[in-house]
Amino acid sequence: MKKEVVAMLLAGGQGSRLYALTSHVAKPAVPFGGKYRIIDFPLSNCVNSGIDTVGVLTQYRPLELNSYIGNGQPWDLDRSDGGVHILPPYMREGEQGTWYKGTANAIYQNIGFLDLYDPDYVVILSGDHIYKMDYADMVALHKKTDAACTISVLEVTMEEATRFGIMNVDGDDRIYEFEEKPKQPKSNLASMGIYVFTWSKLRQYLIADEADPTSSNDFGKNIIPNMLNAGEKLMAYRFHGYWKDVGTINSLWDANMDMLAPHSGIDLYDPDWPIYARSPIRPPHVTGPNAKLSHALVTGGCRVDGTVENSVLFHSVTVEEGADVQYSILMPGAVVKAGAQVSYAILAENAVVERNACVGSAPSGDPDWGIAVVASDVTVGEGAVVPPSAMIREDVKGGEQG
Amino acid sequence: MNDLHGILFAYRSDSNLGELTRPRNTCSLPFGGRYRLIDFMLSNYVNSGITDVGVIVHESYQSLLDHLGSGKDWDLSRKHGGLRILPPFGYAERGDGDYRGNMDALAGVAGYLNNIRQEYVIMGWGDLAVNLPVAEVLERHLETGADVTMVCTPTLKSSPRFSEYVEVSGDGRVTDLSIHPTAADKALESLEIYILSKQLLLDMVDYCAAHDVHSFSRGVLQPRLKSLRLVPYVHQGYVGRFQSVSDYFRRSMDLLDPAVRDDLFNPDRPIRTKDQSNPSTYYGPNAVSNSSLVADGCFIEGEVTNSILSRGVIVEAGAKVSNSVLMQGTVVKAGASLSYVISDKNVQINENRILTGHSTYPLAIAKNSIV
Repeated sequence: MKKEVVAMLLAGGQGSRLYALTSHVAKPAVPFGGKYRIIDFPLSNCVNSGIDTVGVLTQYRPLELNSYIGNGQPWDLDRSDGGVHILPPYMREGEQGTWYKGTANAIYQNIGFLDLYDPDYVVILSGDHIYKMDYADMVALHKKTDAACTISVLEVTMEEATRFGIMNVDGDDRIYEFEEKPKQPKSNLASMGIYVFTWSKLRQYLIADEADPTSSNDFGKNIIPNMLNAGEKLMAYRFHGYWKDVGTINSLWDANMDMLAPHSGIDLYDPDWPIYARSPIRPPHVTGPNAKLSHALVTGGCRVDGTVENSVLFHSVTVEEGADVQYSILMPGAVVKAGAQVSYAILAENAVVERNACVGSAPSGDPDWGIAVVASDVTVGEGAVVPPSAMIREDVKGGEQG
Repeated sequence: MNDLHGILFAYRSDSNLGELTRPRNTCSLPFGGRYRLIDFMLSNYVNSGITDVGVIVHESYQSLLDHLGSGKDWDLSRKHGGLRILPPFGYAERGDGDYRGNMDALAGVAGYLNNIRQEYVIMGWGDLAVNLPVAEVLERHLETGADVTMVCTPTLKSSPRFSEYVEVSGDGRVTDLSIHPTAADKALESLEIYILSKQLLLDMVDYCAAHDVHSFSRGVLQPRLKSLRLVPYVHQGYVGRFQSVSDYFRRSMDLLDPAVRDDLFNPDRPIRTKDQSNPSTYYGPNAVSNSSLVADGCFIEGEVTNSILSRGVIVEAGAKVSNSVLMQGTVVKAGASLSYVISDKNVQINENRILTGHSTYPLAIAKNSIV
């Protein structure tokens, strides 16, 4: 059935700069903010914006993401008309077909899916940002200005602008030039990787791009410049509010810490724009007689009897008596045993820190200092030491230095 | 397991629960931070593989309907079978008022019973806090060849004048049943959960309707102790019953015992409930939380000890909550102090109010009150 707007969520990326955290799952499935996974933000934004048809393009390690999305019920996307659809690359007759070669190619390979719904507009989203946005407002601007493409932009500092794709605009916010990571930026409007296209236009450009063997089939590198060169109308949509890329260990840690400041960043308690998640079945969390909790997020199924400060605890985390957790992110099922210390660290799912072990440390001024990461299902043995910046992928024996 | 059908009686509204059951029946009483009582038996049914459940309701079942919805949180939203809410429409011809007993209730849904596609039926009340291995109870029922298997507990907890007790002979057969005696006179208390064949149940419902018998235990089991083979299934795990405000308080405080929690929230048979997409609970810089059970979505900047907090409770800085049960949406403003208090949903305790009950007589505050 025809839909006015369909969203396509690019969720195939590996997220290689998250290293051990994405060795088993795609980046959009990485846990975030105590209760969520990264993909909950764009998915919830879609539903809250009134978009009920979403294609999720998967490629890298899709199994956990597929089972997480399931039938889309937690986001009210279990619809008989529309709803959420997982879209992996597929084979075609004559043994043809390829992996998704680039962001534009991923959409190109799913032209057939979009044609099923024959949308007027397509919203392109990525699965690695934390933000709340009303896409309906962006589509409204797109319609009003009769643009071929509208790109959501964030005002950054001129310093930061050198790290982003920058949109140069005229007085009406019409884009006349796109520069990828300019050394001398002319504007401070950074692309957020969120696009609204008039589908009939995008369809043309995707087909032309696919026919060009020199193209890298990427929205930023190819489609947007091609549209600009052809004189299409491209508009910038100015977004104000919390937006964070969580593509690196530091930015992921940082954005999680933002969730501890309920009034400075993004309001997860706002009933008018809820972020939905598939929640596991767990009882409420329990605090023991010796628990000391300060400036912390704690989730169902946790047992806390130690000290937890400035930290985010996902569901089913255990912090035993005498353990000390500071400025850390403990993903589902992580265990910190008695006397262990965890500081400025990320413990991935079901990681275990045995008694009196020590993971990470406070910033020391050393240029090599960084967040320590323990990968999922890894055990740090009794009394072992994991230094800052370490990336632990295999068990560390008791007493050893990881 | 497709041979067992689940029936839950969900029309009991115990007047001894006072303020707590004024807006709802006992089955939809909030319990344990994020649950309603009906979640326990309903989850027990689902965890044993039951796919079809009928919930018999009568009055004040609005909050139960809101809670159960289509049954999707229990995986009971199905095209074929699944969850069926059974209001008392078939009962209208018999006149007025409440069901006089569970046989009345079953007669009221006789059409539904006839269409049950399973061979066996488990029926029980939806207002117990228990994690019961229902699959094992059925297995035992088949092994012993009983006509009726009755689930019992050896840990007597209830007030005798609301309870039933069974006596068991050496060969494991129930030989006596005392109903609402003045004192608990036997070693096993019946939980009033029964497994029997669909055919036997239908025969009993027919007989009772024809003879104006309305209580299963008094009208069917007691007179037929000799002809029916009644076998107890003794459940050794935790059982919480709720017949008064102080019962409710004590059963809530039981949850602070790790052994009770491990039994009731056994991860192999999880208790499911309506998902509300709450964020994690936030503890502020000066928060204190000790020996407490705290659900998601709370915002705690004050002190909480020895208490049960439901979803979305706010405890402001400088407020103190001890030995209390705060239901969903309770707001405790700065400087307020609560001790031995049960606050119902969306209660607001204003600045510097001091409320104190006693462990044997907790102070219950009605839904939506502002103190």
